[in-house]
Amino acid sequence: MATFRVSSEADVVEVVRGARESGGTLEIVGHGTKRGLGRPIECDDVLDLSCLSGIVSYEPDEMIITARAGTPVIEIEAALAEKNQRLGFEPADWGPLFGAPADSATIGGVLSADANGSAAMRYGRCRDHLLGFCAVNGFGEAYKGGGKVVKNVTGFDLPKLFCGAMGTLGPLTEVTLRLFPKPSSAAIFAVRDLSLEDGLALLRRVWSSPIESTGLAFLNGTAFIRLEGSRAALDEKIAMLRSLSVTEFQQNSEGEAIFYNIASGRIAADAESMLWRVHVPSANAAKLVAEIQPTAWCADWAGGLLWLVSDRDVRARARAFDARPVQMRSGGSIPPFGLEDRVRAELTRRVKAAFDPLKLFNPGRMWEGV
Amino acid sequence: MIALPIPDPEIVARREEIVAALKRLVPDGIVSEPAGLTAYDGDALTAYRQAPLVCVLPKNKDEVSAVLAFAHEMGVPIVPRGAGTSLSGGALPRADGILLGFGRMNRILEADLENRCVVVEPGVTNAAITRAVEGDGFYYAPDPSSQIACTIGGNIAENSGGLHCLKYGLTTHNLLGVEFALPDGARLRFGGKAPGGEGLDLLGVVTGSEGLLGVVVEAIVRILPKPPVTRTLLAAFHSVPDTGVCVANIIAAGIVPAAMEFMDRRCIDAVETYCAPGYPKCEAILIIEIDGLAAEVSDGIARVSDIARASGAYEVREAADERERERLWKGRKAAFSAMGRLAPDMLCMDGTIPRRALPQVLARMAEMSNEYGLGFCNVFHAGDGNIHPLIIFDVMKADELERAEAFGAEILRLCVAVGGVLTGEHGVGIEKRDLMPEMFSEADLAQQQRLKCAFDSAGLLNPGKVFPTLSACIEQGHAHVKQGRMRHPELPRF
Repeated sequence: MATFRVSSEADVVEVVRGARESGGTLEIVGHGTKRGLGRPIECDDVLDLSCLSGIVSYEPDEMIITARAGTPVIEIEAALAEKNQRLGFEPADWGPLFGAPADSATIGGVLSADANGSAAMRYGRCRDHLLGFCAVNGFGEAYKGGGKVVKNVTGFDLPKLFCGAMGTLGPLTEVTLRLFPKPSSAAIFAVRDLSLEDGLALLRRVWSSPIESTGLAFLNGTAFIRLEGSRAALDEKIAMLRSLSVTEFQQNSEGEAIFYNIASGRIAADAESMLWRVHVPSANAAKLVAEIQPTAWCADWAGGLLWLVSDRDVRARARAFDARPVQMRSGGSIPPFGLEDRVRAELTRRVKAAFDPLKLFNPGRMWEGV
Repeated sequence: MIALPIPDPEIVARREEIVAALKRLVPDGIVSEPAGLTAYDGDALTAYRQAPLVCVLPKNKDEVSAVLAFAHEMGVPIVPRGAGTSLSGGALPRADGILLGFGRMNRILEADLENRCVVVEPGVTNAAITRAVEGDGFYYAPDPSSQIACTIGGNIAENSGGLHCLKYGLTTHNLLGVEFALPDGARLRFGGKAPGGEGLDLLGVVTGSEGLLGVVVEAIVRILPKPPVTRTLLAAFHSVPDTGVCVANIIAAGIVPAAMEFMDRRCIDAVETYCAPGYPKCEAILIIEIDGLAAEVSDGIARVSDIARASGAYEVREAADERERERLWKGRKAAFSAMGRLAPDMLCMDGTIPRRALPQVLARMAEMSNEYGLGFCNVFHAGDGNIHPLIIFDVMKADELERAEAFGAEILRLCVAVGGVLTGEHGVGIEKRDLMPEMFSEADLAQQQRLKCAFDSAGLLNPGKVFPTLSACIEQGHAHVKQGRMRHPELPRF
């Protein structure tokens, strides 16, 4: 097994062409922080994008950044912070779930894993922010998808497809993301001693109000609410929150860490049990938790995203609640994504083949053969 | 003129048989008489007219599937249609194709306020979604100018935008799920009331696919709580470049207005004559709207006013009340109609450019107008750099349509050259089909076409739109060669 540490798009093309000739498969990695996510795969060689790194262009006035796929997320966030901007989807740091150090992910890895943080509820997931990309397909051709402006409907929206594709459609080499201004003030409030139903109902009331909260999470009987805006706007939002909550609330002393911990699945950092990430209609979340009886759990996105620790396969029970569980950490016994029905599975295979007909890239990472 | 496809004579010869079969599948929803078909012979790209082979108006999902399965079996092209408001010819029929109209599938199935979503049939109009939930304090954000007529199915196919996308995004950002019918009639769901966690984001890629991958038979859209306060400013400028600088400065200051609209002098004059919204006589105006909670809106309005003055606005005025606010918008929304009175025909372009390139592009377009000897005006969504130059011409005058199309094409080439794109919200359709190589390399286009083949290997869905050349789906072993003949011989292949 060889590791190809590439530093240019031309290098990637060469490695892929080599793989085409030899018929060898490629595991695509950035910093390799999330290798434990998805079905375990064994590839002939590793395509390491960590040296394909660096910000290509950052235009604060356009609120757009272009970076090579292997650029560390923290490098991007540091550059943006200098100009009071940020990534709207608040990249989630999942590496530590798989034993990697905190804050070591690359932008390509975060997009490929669809790792979204709490603010994604307000600003959209990473798929809503990836404007364009460059990639290399299984034919060994470099190509681009999307564009570099915020409003574009020219051709198919391939960037959407690459978010969450786990590298199975081929290596990204460069990505262009839209950015958002960072509000001047923020405060996080905690409403304590709430039942599961009351806590999630409060979060939904805030979510359905014009407060435009950027974080609505629930953990251990406490609802956490993040409000942002100019100083004047923040005071107004706090007053509105007071009108929505019957229970007293106080400013949370832990600060931003609470949302970092929830979005990164930290509830189960030490547990041996299986960890699930469940997308569920918010209003069904409380019932789903009551039904599954997880050993530990927390909610993000006003209940729309649950993290559950449960040794049992929760999929069958989730279906009744219109919920979609993803197996985040399993020890390999249960595939990460639910089985697709025949029509969908065949379509998925054809889409995979459209980008990677020889199944060179991360084969089997999502489903068998994909 | 863009060449319309040469109809497949074999399909045209089987017309009676095809109509008879469709009547069995959708007994009360067939339009086949010439007079009836005239009503369906095009969309809002009015320079192009073509009656379909036959028009089918199904009233439920099963009928849609049955029609698709039949067309697939018979090898007949399908052109999907919502309300026919496409500005890029996306719903332009084919003489050898079935026009699949969704006008009768227009029920709102569920308003789920707890989960902030609405479940609708594809023929529901954009405006009807907001009407269904506004009593409860919610609305559906994307607001294309045609919103009283256009359907959500068409919005999804085109990934429609509108005045307020700067803050609230396009259709794709407000769509949670669809039930989708593939070309052979098989149906599947992408997304749901809680999107995400599905693996491949097929919902994302079918949105904006211009009817080339399948058809939407049901949709789940996100609704937003209505902001309590909306305030609107008008800023007047003596110079167009100053106006462009003002836009860039507002964005750079970290302000995200709900809308920021630009109109130039010619457009201002036209709407003043048309509906007298009371705009100042000047070279250009910006209409800037900020929404949200009272304090943050006040803060935003104050900052925008300061920036506008510092950028050269000689007058900044705020609509004093709701009536005045509506009047300010009335002029903007009437811009197309007002321009329509200046000349018999109009071509509306739709490129997006980086906002910093606005002054340069505006100046160059004025030069081009002289070179082509055709008038034009600018009215557009400045906040997101989505420009809508309106070229006015008279189709009855010698070569004016050709000159207008050449002028439009040169504008779009300029958009690409400064780092922008061919279309921000209207779609490629037939209008910009032949310009795709300006923006995409052969490899880029080949990759998109392979995706098309993964969904529609027979190439029956909306053929002749979006791609200047058809790939034959051979690479994937899907080549569909019927009786030794290739489909769509009018298009070159690679």
